[in-house]
Amino acid sequence: MEALRLENISKSFDKVQAVDNLSLSVPAGKVYGFLGPNGAGKTTTLRMIVQIILPDSGNIHIFGKPNKRESLDRVGYLPEERGLYRKIKVHEALEFFGELKGMKRKDCQQKVNHWLDRFGMMEARRKKMEELSKGNQQKIQFITTVLHDPDLIVLDEPFMGLDPLNALLLKETLLEQKSRGAAIIFSTHLMDEAEKLCDSICLINRGQKVLDGELKTIKRNFGKKSIILGYTGNADYLKDASLVKHYNDYGNHVEISLSDGASYKTLLQKAMQHAEISRFEMVEPSLNEIFIATVTQN
Amino acid sequence: MQKLLTVLRREYVSRVKTKGFIAGTILIPLFMIAVSVLPAIMILLKSEDPRKIAVIDMSGEIFDGLVNDLDEKIETGERKYQLTKKQAFADDLESVKETLSDEIDREQLDSYIYIPPGVLDSSKAEFYGRIVSNFQENERLEGAISRAVTEIRIKRSGLDPEAVRRLTREVSLRTFKVGPGGTEEEDRGYSFAMAYGLAMFLYMAMFIYGAVILRSVIEEKTSRVVESVISSVRPFDLMAGKIFGVGAVGLTQFLIWALALGAVSLYGVQVVGMVAPAAKSVSLPTVPIAVLVAFVVYFLLGYFLYATLYAAVGAMVNSDQEAQQLQWPIVILIIIPIMFIMFVIQNPASQTSVILSLVPFFTPIIMLARIVVQMPPLWEILLSIVIMVATIAGITWVVGKIYRVGVLMYGKRPTLPEIIKWIRYS
Repeated sequence: MEALRLENISKSFDKVQAVDNLSLSVPAGKVYGFLGPNGAGKTTTLRMIVQIILPDSGNIHIFGKPNKRESLDRVGYLPEERGLYRKIKVHEALEFFGELKGMKRKDCQQKVNHWLDRFGMMEARRKKMEELSKGNQQKIQFITTVLHDPDLIVLDEPFMGLDPLNALLLKETLLEQKSRGAAIIFSTHLMDEAEKLCDSICLINRGQKVLDGELKTIKRNFGKKSIILGYTGNADYLKDASLVKHYNDYGNHVEISLSDGASYKTLLQKAMQHAEISRFEMVEPSLNEIFIATVTQN
Repeated sequence: MQKLLTVLRREYVSRVKTKGFIAGTILIPLFMIAVSVLPAIMILLKSEDPRKIAVIDMSGEIFDGLVNDLDEKIETGERKYQLTKKQAFADDLESVKETLSDEIDREQLDSYIYIPPGVLDSSKAEFYGRIVSNFQENERLEGAISRAVTEIRIKRSGLDPEAVRRLTREVSLRTFKVGPGGTEEEDRGYSFAMAYGLAMFLYMAMFIYGAVILRSVIEEKTSRVVESVISSVRPFDLMAGKIFGVGAVGLTQFLIWALALGAVSLYGVQVVGMVAPAAKSVSLPTVPIAVLVAFVVYFLLGYFLYATLYAAVGAMVNSDQEAQQLQWPIVILIIIPIMFIMFVIQNPASQTSVILSLVPFFTPIIMLARIVVQMPPLWEILLSIVIMVATIAGITWVVGKIYRVGVLMYGKRPTLPEIIKWIRYS
């Protein structure tokens, strides 16, 4: 079943075309990564999905129904700009958001306790929001997103500002939600996280879709495999355009995509003249590689 | 609707539970009681010391009259004004004055009065004292000297002072207010005080509750919580829930005060009377039911009008400082009726008053004052309510649009053309 479908969505602010004729589809029980460079129109699109702003043209179908305000009760949204009421108690803030989604007060209190327990925050239940650490405030905000067991979860840069432990907790929780049958769409510019989590991705640039589909298919269709080269020493050979189309140097290893007609043997020979090679591997291109290649080409 | 109620409940509960609300509910009436009642009680309770006053009577004729006139006694049975006569002549006048000033300085004396030789013609006398700011006492002395001088003048002209006093006795004008149905009721300035007091109360309420709305909107905006909220509830419902919630807080406060006031008017006089017997004669004015109803109606209408305007300002700005700069048009709208309130109370049925009371932004304060002073025709009251409701509906419609766009706009404050665009396109 399709949880979310965008049909030819466009939105402009003044003279800037923020989103241009964008269409995509997110099936239930899948994780959908929404990728793109800064200012590509990701946040604008996500805000249109939760009807905070309205598209200039196009339709948004949630659970098969177009542009229905009522559908939002089954949607959870985590905005990029985090923030909660500062003066009220944690459980009051959570119950407020649960009730805004149409939950009964009793169910709400139960769910709040369940999630606080799940995130190891039971002792913060009666604290004021402003007394919590930033990381804990983020957790509370995430709870407001999933409290009502939404069937569609919309997250804007959910990993931003999380330490590795909390990032792991978030990832686990998202996968739980996925196996429960919820559709998840999230924007990020952390390709690692996207690669590990996503079933499908959509890459947009300047408001337009440049690439989308299942992650597996995208990687297969990207064509040439990448070469991972572990090295110490000089890396000038990478600048030879007849050999290397583009590369990402991570310091101790580099991901290389070869120029047309070049052979990996020539690359290996050149590299060995200049540097100590500790690793040589042909892999599927990483999402990072695909992202950079597609956006720069575009 | 359910969501509007959820927002309303949060706004209400989160405010009523604060220490600020509890303190404000208790302190504001205490403050008002202190300001209005305490001075009266102070006068009733005042334990007075006698005033030691020296009199240099160069005319030689005034002193006896003064002693006769200033005959009030304090609780101990002593005379309040203890006058002593000081002899002086033209050549040692300065040294006598200096000696008296010294005595005042050493607190052997409170003050002295200098009555020049030609007082009957010049009508001038002088008062020297450590404390010269007690206007009541100053006036009392002035009156006494005047009467003593007048008495001598009358005697000199060969008339009988007693006869003149009888002939020139002043007429006291008692005022009665004629209410609806021709009922008559003696009025000792209550109408004026009540009209003025209720108008000031509304005036303050508009500012206080408007500021609460303003801060609430700005807080949601600056803390960025608003984005989460309006992904669940329509911006309009959020705004309306907020306005109703804070309004309910205001009504709760009034209800507490009204109950307290009721208790005070029933038992207060007896309680005060135990402390100060003289206060027993004080009768508190009763507030007519019509005025009470009008007060609640115009408070609510005025509140909704100004709360909505303040919500719009909150949606347009990013900080309290910016709000200060942008709220002046609203402030002016609230202040204008206060500038006219004296005129309206004195001329409640004049054309100007009628017109002012039908301008929706001024209606709550002006119309309420008119109702207290002189009940206007029913159609004027109904018309004012209809105009206000229509204005509130129109403003809410416009502000709803500003709010919808504004609460998501961070950074630059919008210009007027931008705001007009928000209204037209959202």
